[in-house]
Order: sequence, then structure tokens, then C-alpha cells
Amino acid sequence: MSETLIRLENVSKTYGSGAEPAVRNLTLEVQKGEVLVLVGPSGCGKSTTLRLINRLIEPTSGRIYLDGEDVTDGDPSELRRKIGYVIQQVGLFPHRTIAENIATVPKLLGWDKAKIEARIDEMLELVSMDPETYRDRYPKELSGGQAQRIGVARALAADPDVLLMDEPFGAIDPITRDRLQNEFLRLQQELKKTIVFVTHDIDEAIKMGNRIAILREGSEIAQLDTPEAILAHPADEFVESFLGSGAILKGLTLKKVRDIELHQVPTLSSPVMREQALETLRASDDQVALFLDANDKPTRWIDERALNRTSQPIEKSGRPVTVDLQPEDTLQDALTVMLQSSVGMAVVTDRKGKYLGCCTIESLAKLIMSDG
Amino acid sequence: MSQIAPSLKNRTPLSERLDLIVSPIFAIALAIIGGVVWLYSDLDDTTISILAPEKLQRQLVETITLGLASSLLVIAIAVPLGILVTRKGFPRLKNFLVDTLGLAQALPAYGLIVIFFSFMGAGITTVILALATFSLLPVLRNTIVGLEQVDKSVIDAGRGMGYTTRQILMKIELPLSVEVIIAGIRTAIVINVGMSALAFLVGGGGLGETINSGLKLDRAPAILIGAVLVAILALLFDFMSALAQKYLKPKGL
Amino acid sequence: MDFLFSLIDFALARQVQVLEGLAQHTGYVVTVLVSAGLFAILTGVVTRRSQLAKELALSIASVFLTIPSLALFVVFIPLVGLGFAPSFIALFLYSLLPILRNTITGLDGIDPGVLESAKGMGFSPVQVLLKVELPLAWPIILAGIRVSSMLVVGIAAIATLVAGGGLGDFIKSGLARLPLPNSLESIWLGTLLCLVLALVIDLILQALRVATISKGIR
Repeated sequence: MSETLIRLENVSKTYGSGAEPAVRNLTLEVQKGEVLVLVGPSGCGKSTTLRLINRLIEPTSGRIYLDGEDVTDGDPSELRRKIGYVIQQVGLFPHRTIAENIATVPKLLGWDKAKIEARIDEMLELVSMDPETYRDRYPKELSGGQAQRIGVARALAADPDVLLMDEPFGAIDPITRDRLQNEFLRLQQELKKTIVFVTHDIDEAIKMGNRIAILREGSEIAQLDTPEAILAHPADEFVESFLGSGAILKGLTLKKVRDIELHQVPTLSSPVMREQALETLRASDDQVALFLDANDKPTRWIDERALNRTSQPIEKSGRPVTVDLQPEDTLQDALTVMLQSSVGMAVVTDRKGKYLGCCTIESLAKLIMSDG
Repeated sequence: MSQIAPSLKNRTPLSERLDLIVSPIFAIALAIIGGVVWLYSDLDDTTISILAPEKLQRQLVETITLGLASSLLVIAIAVPLGILVTRKGFPRLKNFLVDTLGLAQALPAYGLIVIFFSFMGAGITTVILALATFSLLPVLRNTIVGLEQVDKSVIDAGRGMGYTTRQILMKIELPLSVEVIIAGIRTAIVINVGMSALAFLVGGGGLGETINSGLKLDRAPAILIGAVLVAILALLFDFMSALAQKYLKPKGL
Repeated sequence: MDFLFSLIDFALARQVQVLEGLAQHTGYVVTVLVSAGLFAILTGVVTRRSQLAKELALSIASVFLTIPSLALFVVFIPLVGLGFAPSFIALFLYSLLPILRNTITGLDGIDPGVLESAKGMGFSPVQVLLKVELPLAWPIILAGIRVSSMLVVGIAAIATLVAGGGLGDFIKSGLARLPLPNSLESIWLGTLLCLVLALVIDLILQALRVATISKGIR
């Protein structure tokens, strides 16, 4: 994580003479394999900065290095073929099929046909879209979320080392955005690309970035550090106000459910006698027990009242468990689930759905306190 | 002879300005060419008699009369007809009209004038009716298109505030489509002035006579001056229609 | 009904002239659409980055359409003589506006995100034009070509007045012989054949549309 892959050196961009520069004398290094997020208020020059890297905008002065090589001059089209680029509007070619869209850069690079075909399917699978179903469709047949998956697949098709992303999830509804972010993080764990990611959303920055550069006007770096460090020690008032209130809550997106000590509630499983269940429940401090099915998957919350209502079998009484968490989910997710849950707790399972324990408000509070 | 309407959308302030600049420039350029030909080419007696001022003046008046009369007739017929077919209850008729009007552009005006002549004989009425039939298309089409493109939510809002159907037409639909409708009328005027040059074919007079005489007697200066006069006249009418278009449209648009 | 039969008889008795008229008329349509199409598309492409150049090109093209057809057909006679040449020039100038305007509209209407991503993936400017911009604008350009083709079919009937041939010949000779027998037939034949030709051209352009436009943007 210490090898520099992209280096902007004293880069400036001025539109027209006498105007305020959009980017003023910026020096920025991006390390190999990291996600560097550029975040700042609108008009701070973050998108301009991103577009300077693949020279969609030519710098007025300064040098740009990619992997040690000065790429400030030379053919910009050739440079761009080596850099993946994902934008908010996605920009899929509407007249070309999904497969042809993904094949764009490999074709520009002159790959042979068989290799491109194989790559198309590989890319579709990578972004969790069934190749059989989607290969020959056209962009107009996709939802916004699907389109951006293809956008990412297209950007990754020629296996570039560097990926530039300009608010890639900005135009997508919150629920889909969350899912795409999570998927993207999983993908990045596998691929270890060097990514520069632009957003105006500090929460997204905290979630996605290994490091965050908070920019102010003229693309001046107000603070460049890990999300944890920025949240804990904002460099100045500008950063503090940009983080907004509730920096602690924002910190929850950095921690995973696995970091927390899980609470064990009493569990019941079939076959269970009513008296026995009541006894177990009374013996515990908790007001409620979890009913697990044959695969240890939690299905229902059962309290004393439900047990006393004898008209229904135990496995059908109480309230259903609607959402469960997994250890890699963030504590932010856990908090949301807890607040929505009728019992103030969130069930944690492993990937197969097997019960692991519960998240409680107390354990969350304890973790936040210990961080101080 | 423009059988298609000037651009319906994307009329920027710039294009409006150019509209008012470019055609006068062309007209002046043509006038200069005509003047140069008149002054510097060898005009024999025949040519001079073709270009006799009193003849030209009469033809000019005839051309303008034909152009204006047929345009008024078209407006009186096509705009109400366009309004009628866009009312509820005529969707089929409207779709049929919109589809066929495109193809009808291929109808030769020349043939139409001659066909009218074969039924009605020579004369000014023949020409006026033929021209009106021909230039009906752009006005009708633009009226339909103009009324169709009015934002449905604005109409809904009007209805919601208690406008009657008639009030919606007069206070919302027509004001919001007037620019497009006038664009169609403008096209019709240009067509009518232009096609009235063909009136000579059926004894309707007009500047076409000069051109025709020039062609028959092989006098290039006469052909050129006749053509230049017709062209300038059309550009002039187009210019005035552009002015009307500019000042008649609602301010907020 | 009687007239219809005598019209058909008239046409069948003059198959050679009918075919010749159709061929000449079609010749105008094809040569004019190809040349004016290329010229207008090229103009649209060259001016697409400059608002002023675009609007100016449009204004000039629309002035051509304003000039009455008879004037435009005859005004070039002193320069190029009678026949095909002045008719071709006039029809060429007439058909520029619809194609030019639609080219400009089509190119303007392309999603900026698509252009941005095309550049961002490393398309050269020429590749962006040929592989993205023109294919995406093509449906609208083709619609403009269709309008122009209808226009050319209608106006080309006047070519006969400058000895340019075409279906107008039937109208002219019918008019000259009125009210002799067969003169009405001749006039109607010329007029109706124009509509038939327009219909056929329209169908061909429809087929071209299906053949050349990607399913993704149809």
C-alpha cells in the first residue's frame, strides 16, 4: 500500500484568462490498490480533478504521472484506454448491446474475438448479472442499478489498474445504492484496483474510502487521511462543518458487526414443550426468546404472552424475524435494524443463515464509549 | 416553396435574430445581382419590352394579390380544422391526417394548379384555390402539432381551476401553440407567394410571365430579373412573417 | 370510374414514356438525396461545436427553401444552361434544410454522458463521431432525408419547365393540349405518378430504417 500509482504534481486548471482556477496548484498521490475518495461541496473542483487524471480536461500547468511515467503529453485516447472510467450518467451506448458495450475497450485495444467473448461473460458474472439473460439486451431494457453495474463491468473489461469513478451511484435510489456500494466493496477486496472516487456525500466517502481527501474551493486539500482519523480529528472548521453533526454515528459505517460483542438470547427449537419454553424464558434476563428452525435459522421472536396464547403452535406464535445481519455488515446497518425491530435487538447470522447472536443497543453504546 | 415548417422547437434567441438578418442579406444580394444585370448586360428591344416597368408592376401586384388571398383562405380553413380534429373524438382522423400530410408533400404544386385549371378554366380564382389547397398542409399540420405539444399538466391545471373547455382552448391551448401555428402560416405565405409565380401557366398572371417570356424567347437577363424579383418578394414576405412570429408569441415563452 | 380506366389505358399505351419519366424523376431523387445528404450531414458535423455556425447554416439553408421554385430553377440557367443541371442545383438547395436541421437536432440530442464515457474509454475524436455520434443521430437524420425526398419528388415536377424532364413532362404536355382528348389523362398521370413514386420511396426508406438502425434505439 505504499507504492504511488498516480501522481498529480502542482497541477492547475484555469478556464479562460483571469478567471479563478478550478484547480489550484494541486499535488496528490494515489497509492496502488487504495480507494481514494475526493469529497467536497459542489463546485470545489473534485470532478475537474478526476478528469485531469485521464486528461478529459487538459491541465493548464503541472505534470501527471501514471505508474512513474509522465503522461501529461502524448495521445490522451491511448491513456484513457488504460484507465477505467465510470460516471454518474453511466453513458452506456444505447445503440449497442450489453455485450458490445462491455467489449468497447478490449476492441479498441485489439483483443482477439474469443478472448473478448470470454471476457464479456466473466465481467457480467463479476457484477452478478446472468450472461445468458443480459448479453444481447440493449441498455434501454435495464434499470438504473443494472445499468450502472454494466457501467462498472465496461470500465473493468480491459482490466485497467486504475479506475476513476465520478459519483457513480449518485443517480440511483438509496436502497439500490446501498447494495451497489456493498457489492462494489466486495469486488474491490478481490480486485485490488487503484480507485479514485468522487462524491459529494460524506457518508459515501466514509464508507467507500481507504483514504479521503476533503476538498475546498479550487480543489485545495483541506484534509487527506483515513476516514477514522478524519472523523476523530478533523483538521479545521471547514472539515468539521463538512462532516456535519453526528460524526460518531458516521463512524458506525466504519465498524462491522463482527467488531461487536454479540449477546446471546435464549433459543428454542422444535420440538419444544410450552412449559419448558416458559421456564427457559423466565430463567433468562431477556424478555424474549428466539425460535430456530431445523437449520438453526432464527425465524420468530417469542415472548411470554405469545407462549401463553395456546391457540397457536409455538413455531407460529410471536413475531417473525424479518431482517438479519451478517458479521460483515456495518454497525450503521445494525443500528437501523435495531431501531426498527420490535424487540430493540438485531439478529446476526452467518452467511448460511445460521444463528450467531444478537446485537443490542447496550453493546453498541459500549463500543462507541470505548472508542472515546 | 418551403413545404415544411421552419423549425418547431429549439428556436433560440440567436436563431430568431439570424432569421431577421439572413433573409434581408440574401434579398439585398439578389437585388444587387438583378441591378447589375439590368445595368450592364446588353438589353435588346425584346428584353426591354419583356421588362417594361408597367408590365412588371402589374405582375408584382398580381403576385402579391394571389399570395395574400390564398394565404387568408388557408388560415380561415386550416386553423379551425386543426382545432377541430385535435378535440376529443377525432383521434383516428387526426392520426390519419398527420400520417398522410407527410406524404402529401410529394404532391406537385404544378400538377395541382393544372388540374384545377382543367376543371375551372383560366383565372385568378383557379389559382387561389389551387394554392390554398396546396398550402393547407403546413398550416393544418402545424396547428395539430402545436396544439398537441401543449403540456398536458397545464391543461389539467386549467381544468382544475374551473376553466370551461372553451376557456381552456382560448386561454391556454391557443396562446401556448400560437408560435408553432404562426410558423405554419409563415410557411404557407412563402409557398403561396412563390407558387403564384406559376399562375402564368393557367392565365393567372404574375411575375412568372416575365420568366416564361424570357425562357421562350431565350433572353437570360429577363429570366434572371424575373427570378430575382420573385425571390426578393418571397424573402420579403418571409421576413415580415418572421417579425409577426416574433411579436405575436406570448412573452413568457 | 370511366376516367380511371381511360387513365390506365393512357398509361399502358405509353409505357416507354412512363418508364422514362419515372427514371428521370427517380434520378433526381437519388442524386439529390445522396449529394445533399452528404453535404448537409457534413455541414452539421463540422458546425456542431459552434452555436453560431449551426444557426447560421440553418438560416442560410432555410433561405433556399424560401426562394420560389420557379425562380430557383431558372436562376442558374444563364450559368449552366437548360436541362438536368439547373434542376439538380435547385433541388439540391431545397433538400438541404430538412437534412441539415435533423442532423443538428440529432447530434445535439445525444446524451452528454454517452459522449463523456466514449471519450473517457479512449475513443479518438473520429471514433466518437463515427461510432457514437452519427449512429445515435442517424434515426433523426434519416427522418430528415425522408422529408427531403418527399419535397424533391413534388418539386422535381417543375424540372420540365427548364427542359429537365421527369414526370412533369406529362403535366406540361397535357396542359399544352387541353382540351384535346387524353390531355386530362396526361395531367393526372403525371401528378399521380409523383404520389406513387413518393410512396415507393417512403417504403424503401422505411426498410432502410429497419436495416440501419440498431434495435436499441428504434
